[in-house]
Amino acid sequence: MATAVQIRQDKVREDLWRPLLQTRGRYVVALVLAGLAGAWGLAAWGYQIYEGLGVTGKRRPVMWAFYITSFVFWIGISHAGTLISAILRLTHSRWRKPVTRAAEAITVFALMIGGMFPIIHLGRPWVFYWLLPYPNNRLLWPNFRSPLLWDVTAIFTYLTGSVIYLYLPLIPDVAHLAEHTTGWRHALYRALSLHWTSSDREWHALERAMKLMAGIILAVAVSVHTVVAWDFAMSVAPMWHSTIFGPYFVTGAIFSGIAALLVVLAIVRKTMHLEAYLQPVHFDNLAKLLVLMSLLWFYFTTAEYLTTWYGNEPWEMAVLGARVRGGYAPLFWTMVVCNFVIPFVLLGIQRLRTIRTATISAAAVLVGMWLERFLIVVPTLAHPRLPAAWGTYAPTWVEISICGATFAAMALLYLVFSKLFPIIAVWEYEEHVSNGRI
Amino acid sequence: MFLTGEFSQAEATGRAIEALKAKGFGPQALDMFSTEPVELPPGVLDRPSRMSLMAVAGAVVVCLLAVVFVYYTQRSYRLNTGGMPLFSLWATGVIFYEMAVLGAIGATFVMFLWESGMLRKDHAAPRWKGAEGELALEPGRILLRVRCEPEHFAAVGECLYAAGASRVEKVQNKS
Repeated sequence: MATAVQIRQDKVREDLWRPLLQTRGRYVVALVLAGLAGAWGLAAWGYQIYEGLGVTGKRRPVMWAFYITSFVFWIGISHAGTLISAILRLTHSRWRKPVTRAAEAITVFALMIGGMFPIIHLGRPWVFYWLLPYPNNRLLWPNFRSPLLWDVTAIFTYLTGSVIYLYLPLIPDVAHLAEHTTGWRHALYRALSLHWTSSDREWHALERAMKLMAGIILAVAVSVHTVVAWDFAMSVAPMWHSTIFGPYFVTGAIFSGIAALLVVLAIVRKTMHLEAYLQPVHFDNLAKLLVLMSLLWFYFTTAEYLTTWYGNEPWEMAVLGARVRGGYAPLFWTMVVCNFVIPFVLLGIQRLRTIRTATISAAAVLVGMWLERFLIVVPTLAHPRLPAAWGTYAPTWVEISICGATFAAMALLYLVFSKLFPIIAVWEYEEHVSNGRI
Repeated sequence: MFLTGEFSQAEATGRAIEALKAKGFGPQALDMFSTEPVELPPGVLDRPSRMSLMAVAGAVVVCLLAVVFVYYTQRSYRLNTGGMPLFSLWATGVIFYEMAVLGAIGATFVMFLWESGMLRKDHAAPRWKGAEGELALEPGRILLRVRCEPEHFAAVGECLYAAGASRVEKVQNKS
């Protein structure tokens, strides 16, 4: 990949504030398109609420399908930011500084979107508050033994932690922006800055809080996807009841998270003209991490499938057969190509590793990981232990619209965020430049 | 009343702090302002912190509250558990773990607000854009503010200039 570009310290603020204060036509077009796609998804959801879950493709025995697949996928994507940012912060990786905020924002938005899916999946979403622990009119408390409630707790904790982890390093930037803007922007930044004065007490407290939060967030991020895996593994269903599901899901989450981060960074770099900040070295390092996670994913997948095949349990073999050589085989082999072959070939060979191939591989991994989640959820439910109860599943336009719209929602949230806040932490980057690390 | 000195280098600021400490001005009387974090040698202007301790305390407290809450609810409406215990740490351990982490997160954030002093509005802090001729925060500048009585202004000012301050200014607390 190409060599690094030198940046003058006084230019950093100018470059990173420019996208906030100037609005281009392309930005408006992207905003409108994402808004329309999101509105279409909302309309489809409204239709589903009005007509009932019968408008989806969910039929006995497949009652978890597109929505739960998307839920697991988006929770996995959320591992892009906070977890990666925390690891890089704790290991003092110097190259992390232009990457972390973009990554942390992905986490918050992906969690918000992922957290919506169990509610969309509910036939009656207006009673979602029954999940909350308060004594309702039937005097019935939530069942704290249920892995589904573990999920609610884990995701709430992760979302709270991620919002704070995103917010803390934003404070110095918004305090600075408050002094250089007027009108509603000034009021917003002033409120968010909490009277930050840039004193050494504040810098010390911020540094300590970020270090502590990085450690805490690692613990919670790993637990979140482990708990999501246990939604499946705690049941005695074929190819779900597996001891490696926790680490397998965490690996897959980090894998898809890095892929999402690469795609977002490539788009941000191109559209905001941040070539001097998001340099080839950032993509190169993330691409290497992606290859590493691809190998780990392949190892876990092989371990899972090989032990199932060797065990030759009839119920497990029915699911495995459906995935590998049955009706789901095209999806399975597409998943293998997307998650292993493409990243391994394009990024494993140094000569082929460029920003473009890293982005292509990352996009392929996103497709592959969505398929992986689908292949975990649906074939097992379609092949219960009683062969007479076997069934099939095909999504309807409602499910496709809602799931597709969540990608638009992600784009919309990101577009709004990048218009309100610098996508690269200005103070961190200035420190980086003044210390001669660029 | 405050006296603020402007520096362009961390080393000079460190020297000024050492000199002021020798004259009896403790860390509580000193505040350093800069657009980016300034690293001083250990011991020069340390700010002791209880953030880690409070994070652990927050985790323990919230975890215990969760245990009590779950224990109570399991008995408040008894589910049919098929002979298994009504309250099981194994089955609810994940909830307690997540609540402990939530407690640690909350305590860390509260301690950040407390230790940074952001909950207490500092009216005398330098602004990014000061009035004409007023000391202001700018990239590459370090402002050292000393809380002192007017009778010490001369001695403190001398200290600041001797350490390498390019300018010293009196600031009135407007609160």
